[in-house]
Amino acid sequence: MDARLRRVNKEISDCKNDKSSNISIDLVDNSPFHLIGEFDGPEGTPYEGGHFKVDIIIPESYPFQPVKMKFITKVYHPNVSSASGAICLDILKDAWSPVLTLKSTLISLQSLLCSPEPRDPQDAEVAKHYMTSKSSFEETARYWTQAYAGGSGKEVRGKGRADGPRDEIAMAGLERAHVEKFQAMGFDRTKVIDVLRRLNYRGANVAQINDDKVVDELIKS
Amino acid sequence: MSSNDEYSDEDIEYYDEDEDMEDIDDVGSASEMELDPLNDLNDPTRPQRKIFEVEYESLSQNDVEKLMRADIEYISSIFGVEMDTASLMLRWINWNKEKLIEKYMDNANAVLMASGITQADKAPERAHAGRSPSSSAHQSSIGPRRSSRRIAPEPPKSGKTKILERLTPPIEDGKFICPICFDDTQTETLNMTCFHKFCKSCWHAYVESKVRTEAESWISCMAEDCSLVAPDYFIEGVLKEDKATWDRFQELLVRHFVGAMPNLKYCPYPSCTYTVSCPVSVSKTSLSSTVPIVTCGASAAHKFCFGCHVDSDHRPVICAVAKMWLQKCRDDSETANWIKSNTKECSKCQSTIEKNGGCNHMTCKKCKYEFCWVCMGPWSEHGTSWYNCNRYDEKASVDARDAQSRSRASLERYLHYYNRWANHEQSKKLSVELYAKTEKKMEEMQITSELSWIEVQFMKKAVDEVIKCRTTLMWTYGMAYYLERGNEKELFEDNQRDLERAVEELSELIESPIDPEVIKTLRQKVTDKTVYVQKRNEIVLEDTAKGFMDRRWKWNVPVEGYD
Repeated sequence: MDARLRRVNKEISDCKNDKSSNISIDLVDNSPFHLIGEFDGPEGTPYEGGHFKVDIIIPESYPFQPVKMKFITKVYHPNVSSASGAICLDILKDAWSPVLTLKSTLISLQSLLCSPEPRDPQDAEVAKHYMTSKSSFEETARYWTQAYAGGSGKEVRGKGRADGPRDEIAMAGLERAHVEKFQAMGFDRTKVIDVLRRLNYRGANVAQINDDKVVDELIKS
Repeated sequence: MSSNDEYSDEDIEYYDEDEDMEDIDDVGSASEMELDPLNDLNDPTRPQRKIFEVEYESLSQNDVEKLMRADIEYISSIFGVEMDTASLMLRWINWNKEKLIEKYMDNANAVLMASGITQADKAPERAHAGRSPSSSAHQSSIGPRRSSRRIAPEPPKSGKTKILERLTPPIEDGKFICPICFDDTQTETLNMTCFHKFCKSCWHAYVESKVRTEAESWISCMAEDCSLVAPDYFIEGVLKEDKATWDRFQELLVRHFVGAMPNLKYCPYPSCTYTVSCPVSVSKTSLSSTVPIVTCGASAAHKFCFGCHVDSDHRPVICAVAKMWLQKCRDDSETANWIKSNTKECSKCQSTIEKNGGCNHMTCKKCKYEFCWVCMGPWSEHGTSWYNCNRYDEKASVDARDAQSRSRASLERYLHYYNRWANHEQSKKLSVELYAKTEKKMEEMQITSELSWIEVQFMKKAVDEVIKCRTTLMWTYGMAYYLERGNEKELFEDNQRDLERAVEELSELIESPIDPEVIKTLRQKVTDKTVYVQKRNEIVLEDTAKGFMDRRWKWNVPVEGYD
């Protein structure tokens, strides 16, 4: 039997037999080389209570070349692209070793959620948010977890759903009062959110960015 | 790297200083060459080095391996370590022997660890216990790594023992199960001194993927966080049945070595494995006076410049000017040609105007000046002769055209040089095609007439010479474009003109029809002309090279190395 197929089959069945780790790997279609991995957000982090799905592609030369993984579930994290789910993690690149398994890699992803590395970011805007105000970042990450990763893998929008506008502001990690202040000047809400997010209008930064600068940006956009 | 040459001197036979002096003298007295032109022509690989040539040596992969070996032996004897160990240390330090000796004397253990020969942990079979010190040693040598992420927060039940399980070979019923492919039928296993045991076919697949897909010769153990690097003997064992990959691995080692040595350069031609050693032209300052064109030992066509990235002979021009010229041609030629053929300048404000339809009554968009597209004169003087300009010789029109031509002078000047450059390049290609046809004809003649093989070789010599000279001519135009006007440039252009005339005459001779009756006279003519052309080419190359050495050339733009 093909060594790659044997190895992947063994990894899938090992994972099924191991109930303790709370990590599951399932086939997408009939091929064992395209999988979906799932794990729970680690306790004591903004991702707690969330359930995260990861797209897994097994390359031709697996396990001698690293597996390709990206988040399907939207995650607010400095090392994960908030748009595409692409992941920045050393073991998925040059630090890969053939003894690493799908399960151990998923566990590494889980631990990546515990310990973000904002100095080597995948998503620069999220990383800036994290560096400026950790508490505000965590609030937003929690909100995303609720909105996208809540419950049993189904995308439940959470309580904020009925309250549309509040939803957007929290999603961007901004203060409601800030957005409303510039909205009162007659600017479009979506534009305000976009500009404030780009300017990283959070925490201590708010004092450093004067209103003229924000208005300038709003006029330009 | 200074004493680097000191050691390699033993292995490379360089020309002697005294010999060099004689060579230059020989070039000076060209009478000998003129006395015996045919002999000279038949022996293009003359041993003398001319002023426009640099000393270099072509090395096969084997020769480079010998140089590598000498370095490895040297380190091995000084440190009293095995050859493979010395090799890994040298590869780690990028073949800088002095730095290696210094670092090794300072802290031998740190060097051994960093070059993947030993691990911090002395008892590697106890993988679990050795984990944290080994990963911290790793951090210090390769820089910050996110090893913390890999120590996963697994539920306490499985914990780190999971990792231990992966690292120690699982043995069930006395059978070995490879922790990578989970195959229990594999009987052959391999491991390095870290005792991380894997089956042979996994090792092979791993090494093959590193060597073939990643072109990587620095191959660490497959175990997670194990920093041991596979020494040559281990790779050889893994690739025992895969000679192609083993050959590629050795090529990668040679490439790594060559890349680390400033006096060595790998031949840039596809799939060529030769290396050229050129000890004189490593410094930047020497590149402002010499053009280090070298040819590798694989083929005379593998000609390249040691000083820059041009993959052909760019004599007589130095690298900095050649680079400027190529860049200018790439950037400007097409645009300039288009502007020249499709636009004219407004005679008043000099804006460039494209006429894309309509009548000859032009109104400049910018300055609102009205003029005639045909004669460039002001429209007001055209009276009623619209759409039919017959005022070409009127004074105003002539003045307008003069102004226009002045504004175009710089464009024209560039195109003058560029067109000649491009023309020689084109002719070079045509000569090759023509020769292919001629060769066929001459082969026929060998069969149908009394002529022998040696007697029809004159044509090949002539074509080779024409191609060589056209290459020189091409670059003389690149150089002349940047030369400042003056006596020196005029002399340069005189030499250029003489060579060009001779080359065109020889080209014409080559194209003349070949008949068995006239071949004797044609042969004489072509041979004579070839010798003459060769001589003219050498004059151009020599004089230019001398000019660079005497700093005689003056440029109309700033040139690197000239202040």
